[in-house]
Amino acid sequence: MMKKKRIVAMLTAAAIAVSLTGCGTSASDGTSAASGGGNQGESGTADENTLTVWCWDPAFNIRAIETAGKLYQKDHPDFNLQIIETPWEDVQTKLTTAATSGNLDTLPDILLMQDNAFQKNVISYPDAFLDLSSSGIDFSEFSQAKVAYSTVDGKNYGVPFDNGAVIAAYRTDILEMAGYTIEDFTDITWSEYLEKGRVVLEKTGLPLLTCKGNESDVAAMMLQSAGASFFDENGEPDMADNEALKEVVSTYAELVKAGVMVEVNDWDQYIGSMTNGSVAGTINGCWIMASIQTAEDQAGKWEITNIPRLDNVPGATNYSNNGGSSWAITTNCKNKELAQDFMAETFAGSTELYEEILPATGALTCYLPAADSPVYSEPQKFYNGQSVFTLITDYAAQTPGNHTGVYYYEAKDAIAVAITNVVAGGDPDRELKNAEDTVNFVMGK
Amino acid sequence: MNGKGKRMTLEKRHSLTGWGFLTPAVVLIVVMNFIPMLRALLLSFQAGVGNRMSFAGLYNYIRMFQDAVFLRSLANNFIYLLIQVPIMLVLALVLASLLNHKDLRLKGVFRTAIFLPCATSLVSYAIIFRSLFAVDGFINTVLVRLHILDTGYNFLGHAFSARIVIILALIWRWTGYNMVFYLSGLQNIEYSVYEAAKIDGATPFQSFWKITVPLLKPTILLTAIMSTNGTLQLFDESVNLTNGGPANATITMSHYIYNMSFKYVPNFGYAAAMSYLILFLVAALAFIQMKVGDKRD
Amino acid sequence: MIKRKKVWQYGFLILASVFSVFPLYWMAVSATNRSAEVIGGRMLPGGYLLENIKNLLAAQNVGRGMFNSLKYSVILTLISLVICSLAGYGFEIYHDRMKDSVMSLLLLAMMVPFAATMIPLYQMFSGFHLLNTTLGFILPTLSTPFLIMMFRQSARSFPHDILEAARLEGLNELQIFFRMFVPTMRSTYAAAMTITFMNAWNSYLWPKVIMQDTSSMTMPMLVANLTEGYVTDYGMLMLAVLLCTIPTIVIFFILQKSFAEGITGAVK
Repeated sequence: MMKKKRIVAMLTAAAIAVSLTGCGTSASDGTSAASGGGNQGESGTADENTLTVWCWDPAFNIRAIETAGKLYQKDHPDFNLQIIETPWEDVQTKLTTAATSGNLDTLPDILLMQDNAFQKNVISYPDAFLDLSSSGIDFSEFSQAKVAYSTVDGKNYGVPFDNGAVIAAYRTDILEMAGYTIEDFTDITWSEYLEKGRVVLEKTGLPLLTCKGNESDVAAMMLQSAGASFFDENGEPDMADNEALKEVVSTYAELVKAGVMVEVNDWDQYIGSMTNGSVAGTINGCWIMASIQTAEDQAGKWEITNIPRLDNVPGATNYSNNGGSSWAITTNCKNKELAQDFMAETFAGSTELYEEILPATGALTCYLPAADSPVYSEPQKFYNGQSVFTLITDYAAQTPGNHTGVYYYEAKDAIAVAITNVVAGGDPDRELKNAEDTVNFVMGK
Repeated sequence: MNGKGKRMTLEKRHSLTGWGFLTPAVVLIVVMNFIPMLRALLLSFQAGVGNRMSFAGLYNYIRMFQDAVFLRSLANNFIYLLIQVPIMLVLALVLASLLNHKDLRLKGVFRTAIFLPCATSLVSYAIIFRSLFAVDGFINTVLVRLHILDTGYNFLGHAFSARIVIILALIWRWTGYNMVFYLSGLQNIEYSVYEAAKIDGATPFQSFWKITVPLLKPTILLTAIMSTNGTLQLFDESVNLTNGGPANATITMSHYIYNMSFKYVPNFGYAAAMSYLILFLVAALAFIQMKVGDKRD
Repeated sequence: MIKRKKVWQYGFLILASVFSVFPLYWMAVSATNRSAEVIGGRMLPGGYLLENIKNLLAAQNVGRGMFNSLKYSVILTLISLVICSLAGYGFEIYHDRMKDSVMSLLLLAMMVPFAATMIPLYQMFSGFHLLNTTLGFILPTLSTPFLIMMFRQSARSFPHDILEAARLEGLNELQIFFRMFVPTMRSTYAAAMTITFMNAWNSYLWPKVIMQDTSSMTMPMLVANLTEGYVTDYGMLMLAVLLCTIPTIVIFFILQKSFAEGITGAVK
């Protein structure tokens, strides 16, 4: 009993001690918050030469903007970046919360935005983002499909950052067991892919492809490869009578039924299927390579090529896009000239920057002049000596653009439902009609 | 006469003291919850995109009953509520009374072990549940070995089994949490009551139903209301275990509301209206529970 | 006969414990493995712990995250217990029809999903310059209907004869609360403390909205940072998650005796 009392007393004492120091620091927190708020422009900029940035991946975009900051500092010694690591979902939540409650002054100077969310955010919160059309940034030096993501009503709101060009990556050692090489999977159609996939499955027991079920990434990539979209040019949902989409859905269902593509339930299993060697390949945005490369024991066994194209759709290509992001400058930025100049001098004007970040992060540029740099043509050991970066930049240049639309996420979720139902035996026409109705409903029609 | 008057003032004074006791808490709840709730209520009568909203009357409230996804999520929440909450509360009660035995060894270890799931981080618990129920996961391997299944079954890929996985996950995660309340409630029951019952020849089952359950009634009511509330606002499992899939078979109302607010083109008017439906449902259920269970004897 | 009953009892408890602990075991083991091994479902300890520690410390400021989380959670828990137990006691001991109605009304406060009230709350907090502050973190959950009701329900078993006796002895109402009620209800306090601390420690949605400074980062925010990005290092992630879980477990283990072993009797 005595002992118990002592424990409780000790615990209380410890708790009080922590709370006292806590109170102490909370007071200083208060002051730092005030000055932090100052940085973000609440009470006039404390430091004219510091830009705050929200972005999220230390190995990728954070490293990239840090490098850009260092380069910019060479000519502007007073320049400073304050990077606040914020996961994308949190960037979106904070942005929505701040903009909806009318507190734009809590936004940073620059934030990184997923390309797929750009239209939605600019149209929902037109006051939050700076129009960069006349900022001196030359947008013609980027691939136009990429610039289109962050262009609203002909105005540019984003400086393109990373590339989402789609690649097909294969385990050549597995293909070899089935008697194939990477060439057999280059410039092919989906029906050829299916046919060869059946052979691979028969000879090795492995599927050609895994993808996350209950998601429509693969379908969206197939669709864009033919320059088609979930929406028409007026932003109206275009699903029920979309011939390209119909072919996508039936191709997808066929792949699953044949066992050539296996749906897994989540991202961990998806990555696992590649690193464990339980799949012969993958199709995704080129950023997937960073995950593939974590399986160090598979070095030299992977090669990449372009993706299959749809069989019967006019304008079908072997190139597509998935993911990628762009920098946006907020209207809360107190030193807009500085932010624009920083972007113009680095991400929109420095081949040196892209040369430096490519080996460190694998961040592929959308800035066309940088693609000619010798760094890009360097052969990569992991990919059996292929010059993968040159290949991917080439894919990016050939990718057809599409209309993301404002209601992109709604459409993707609705299509995911349709696909799940079609794979389970539902009627494709009816399911696509349902998907279109769902999106129309969300749009308030 | 005089004495009675004095007693009245004493009662009055006690009543006032009572108000004094609860003022700080009530003021905080009014400011931190009711004021924002009031603004959300106003918002629920508006429609529009982002921060450009205009008055729309009952539009949002009518709209949700035409929204197939929302109705699906509503049904899902009730499936979880009806199946999971009773199982979980009974299990928690049983565990608590087992662990309340005087002569049980290693009590502390058992208690901590059973409490652990709700302290375990969502990230790791989601990863492990998903991998346990994967096509080539542990559960399937066992079922195939035992010849119950021929090949692995995609539990999370089918509507019925995905809901069962969610229910199992919820039971796993929250049973120990509820057990804590029962354990602490049991301390207010004299152990001698059980010993007397034992001498009178009561079986453990009888003393559980005749002593434990009635005496824990206030705590049971508390946990029932909390679990009802928690289940109707369920979010984590839907997002992290199944992401609402397959084909919205497991999506919950809160998950859909979150999507409406932060994933899709923000529609806060509609999100607020759906939130108020949740309020209405939980309040109605809590009211019934309190009518049934909240009596001072 | 008695033996067999015991076997069942222990068997059931051991089974329940194994099920409960398994994911935690896996988490701990994964913290010692490489990312690819974690994904591959390796269940045995590996030799990669030091590497994971090194990577985690290089990637995130764990010390600051732990300190912040501990600071916010401890302050929130202590103040919250005082405010809510006072209210719960007030609602029960001095109950009348009016107070019962107020209690029912308060319950409404927890029935609206936070996603709906977050934006008005944010507006309010940024108006009062509470972003990035400890006060901003703790204020919304300082007083919760749940805790108030928990104390109200347990006050129901507070013996009225103690109350009357104390009044006769001339203690005032506040003294009765602190000297009689608080010690008697130690098991309730211990349980409430565990739960409140855990909720505060794990809270994520609100902190991530109002904490905009890198310096006010909490542990759950730090873990979230590790899961975003094109590549996730699962070994490192599991280590962070493990660190994020340990404080709650320690608190529980210390307090469980207090709330589960009759102290009530000792006071009487």
